[in-house]
Amino acid sequence: MMNSLTSIWAEARSNPLLLVLWLAVAALAAYVFVNGGYLMAVLQFACIYVVFVAGLNLFMGFTGQVSFGHNAFAAISGYTSAVLTATYGWDPVPAAVLGIGGALACALIVGYPVLRLRGHYLAMATLAIGLIAYEVAVQWDSVTQGYMGISGIAPLGVGRWTITSDRGILIFLIVVALLSLLMVRGIRRSRLGRSFVAVAGSEDAARALGIDVARTKLLAFLISAGYAAVAGSLFVHAVGFVSPEVFGLHMVVLAFTMLYVGGIGTIVGPVFGAVIVALLPETFRGFKEYQDLAYGAALVLILIYTPRGLVSLPDLWRRRKAAQKTDVQQTSARQGGAA
Amino acid sequence: MSFKLLTTTAALALSAALVAPAAAQETYKVGMAAGLTGYAATVDRAWRDGVEVAIGVLNAKGGIAGKKIELIVEDNKSEPQEAVTVYRKMISSDKVNVFVSGCVSAGNFAAAPLIVRAETPMVLCSILPQQPDHVKWAFTTIPPPRFEVETRLEYIQKKTQIKKIGVLHDPSPYANAQKAAAEKEAKDYGLEIVGVEQYKTDDADLSVQIQKMYAAGARAILKIGLGGTTLTAAKNIKQLGLDMIMLTSLEDIAVFRPVAEVLGDKFFFVASPAQVYDALPDSALKKEIGTFLEPWRAKYKDRDPNWAGRGWDAMTLVAAAVAKAKSTDGTKLRDALETMDGFQGTTGIYHFAPNNHQGITENPLLLATIINGKVQVVK
Amino acid sequence: MTAAVEPSRILSVEGLSARYGHVEALHPVDLHVEAGELVAVLGPNGAGKSTLMRALMGLVPTQGSVAFHGHAVPRRNPAKAAAMGLVLVPEGRGIFAPMTVAENLELGAYLLNDKQEFARRHDRVMTLFPRLKERLAQTAGSLSGGEQQMLAVGRALMSDPKLLLLDEPSLGLAPRVIEEILQTLGELNRAGLPIILVEQKAPLVLTLARRAYIMSVGSIAAEIDPRQVKSHDELAHFYLG
Repeated sequence: MMNSLTSIWAEARSNPLLLVLWLAVAALAAYVFVNGGYLMAVLQFACIYVVFVAGLNLFMGFTGQVSFGHNAFAAISGYTSAVLTATYGWDPVPAAVLGIGGALACALIVGYPVLRLRGHYLAMATLAIGLIAYEVAVQWDSVTQGYMGISGIAPLGVGRWTITSDRGILIFLIVVALLSLLMVRGIRRSRLGRSFVAVAGSEDAARALGIDVARTKLLAFLISAGYAAVAGSLFVHAVGFVSPEVFGLHMVVLAFTMLYVGGIGTIVGPVFGAVIVALLPETFRGFKEYQDLAYGAALVLILIYTPRGLVSLPDLWRRRKAAQKTDVQQTSARQGGAA
Repeated sequence: MSFKLLTTTAALALSAALVAPAAAQETYKVGMAAGLTGYAATVDRAWRDGVEVAIGVLNAKGGIAGKKIELIVEDNKSEPQEAVTVYRKMISSDKVNVFVSGCVSAGNFAAAPLIVRAETPMVLCSILPQQPDHVKWAFTTIPPPRFEVETRLEYIQKKTQIKKIGVLHDPSPYANAQKAAAEKEAKDYGLEIVGVEQYKTDDADLSVQIQKMYAAGARAILKIGLGGTTLTAAKNIKQLGLDMIMLTSLEDIAVFRPVAEVLGDKFFFVASPAQVYDALPDSALKKEIGTFLEPWRAKYKDRDPNWAGRGWDAMTLVAAAVAKAKSTDGTKLRDALETMDGFQGTTGIYHFAPNNHQGITENPLLLATIINGKVQVVK
Repeated sequence: MTAAVEPSRILSVEGLSARYGHVEALHPVDLHVEAGELVAVLGPNGAGKSTLMRALMGLVPTQGSVAFHGHAVPRRNPAKAAAMGLVLVPEGRGIFAPMTVAENLELGAYLLNDKQEFARRHDRVMTLFPRLKERLAQTAGSLSGGEQQMLAVGRALMSDPKLLLLDEPSLGLAPRVIEEILQTLGELNRAGLPIILVEQKAPLVLTLARRAYIMSVGSIAAEIDPRQVKSHDELAHFYLG
């Protein structure tokens, strides 16, 4: 852990613009923490989405697969947490653990057949998983209470020790988000992580090196489903309410936006993606009816100018400097030739 | 390239520079979380416009407690997560005095713990939350779901020979509550429910469900739910040539006109008093509806007044309660709202009490039909 | 020549064919590799050379048998083939561009758990390709074409091959770079590593190879001894069939 922190620091120093981005996020968190207000809620959601997107990134960014259905795993654990604490009076921790376990079991069952598909077919199949989960949440009235939703879900905490203050929840979620990022980083730098990226690069080349491609994809799917499940449980315990819309297609769209805005396939991309995508609508709240329009326009701008996500900004910067240098060289060379 | 970088950095800076809350003024602030976009848009836009009309009238008379009323509307996009954010924003940034929020039940439920902590009451267009401690701060203008069902069952019992009926509903909480009421009460009206079928709000064909109920002997369908499916059901009944009547739940009358063209006198709908204003006998109710309809029609002409009327009721209720409490304090307002017994609104008479936060206790709803393009109350 | 397996024969392939869907891209072929040999597979574009390499690894559905050191190489299980010591450097190199050079090399030793052995192999690759050593922390995508080919070979060596299959290592490289790489391959072979080298440009490898198979429209048209080839015209004769 200490080790990773020092290496993050080393990375940041060699990359000033990335450091600036980090400082901006930290400053924002500090500002919100001190001043409170509703941005606290926005930042809390952003932290939960960091976890969700970090997991999705593992599957989509590193392993090169696609899933429109990870909301299903968030829904399974979220609803398990909700039902067990609100209806049966369980503690949040065992409820969440069971929920995450259930989500993983489902991921294993659906992942095995679905991951044989590729490209558009994989996209369609995963989309179906998400839609089915949503339908079940709507229709299984006796347990999920349909569109009514479940309220009175226990807050985050263990036994009598619970986190109910906004600041406490924010701190807790920031810690969880950072931990999940460090874990992604650890995975990316392990043999497993290298095999993920190898599968994304070329399945044949990976196979020829002795990598079991099917097993590798399944592992990536399971780990990312685990992240989605953690996010699902965090959400319901933090908000205290769940209904099907929480884990609807909306969640997938939001996560994809964050993934691409932040920088797919990078370790820290999900942080910047989640924070920016969560904050942008608030920035434009003053625009009233035009809020969505302004938000959409801003997203398009970001994607046009940093097509590989916000974390590619430092690269753009470097290339620009390099371009300037060659310009200067060319100019002086031309002048030299003229003289 | 430098331009690109500049623009990107500018976009980032913009998103970091957050819009500061408006400078505090001496106004009475009313917050509204409404589904201006998403599935609730039709209802919640009407609700908002009704609240706005009421505020216009109230402000012309000097506002609430001597302060101008300021309405802060935030779109919850019909999503609970978005609702939590906008409720928080209105509580902590705008510091609203009271909420009059739209019909997205899930959103209002999700935010209920927040308003309890902020000690700010909310008057809703949606059903009440489930938790008793949440209900304490929530009041609704909605009539109990069973009223819509009872109006229809009573008609079938008294005016037709039909003994077997079917229920066709969508999965929304309000529709589910009506379905449950129908299942519970049908036998009190000497009726038997021979089929209960569910559909999705975007279904393009309901003939399977309808045929199934018809085959089971149903000669009347209670259709429960909003939107285009009502017309779909009507067309299916006509195409199949079935001898049955359809009675639908409350809805914007504009939706019903094409339905009436398809089914004619086999089509009935539940109507709120404001929707059939012209056919009402003179009464305190008609007078209150008239007070609302005057500014409403001045601004919106023939637009359906049903949900807007409830928005009007919510706002006038708040004004009356503040006047009674002689204070704009949230807790005192809450206590006063609990004593609003016998308050005349456009929907009916509200009887709020400490143990009853659903004000409409007597069924004010009517059954209506459209004949030759004219809305008529069925006697 | 008898059918009996000679002790020096490490790879023997009998009736190996491969198909993509309904198309038989490789008609049944027989070939063999002796210990310490560098065998060239020559032929024009589309002759089935790459398919043959992929078929040997089991990357495509095949029929026929492949035996390596007397053991059958399982079909459709490239991971197992790799574990047996058959290592392919595919056409286009197959390096992983977003990963660093170091990570690519580590992936070469994916099946290895012995740290000391890893270090030994790593040192060997570094000695063989000093230029890779300077670029360990760089992403593979940022390397020049020649460096990428070195990395591809280096990565293959990290899995300690018993037989190295190279599919057109000269593709898209400058003549000087090709020479450098072929020289290294020659060194490796002289040190005892058997190699099958696929090439379209025959003259490049004829000095290195002891034997060469000439492929044409999906089958082996001839087996030649490069030392017997007197002129390019004679070689062209084989190409054109």
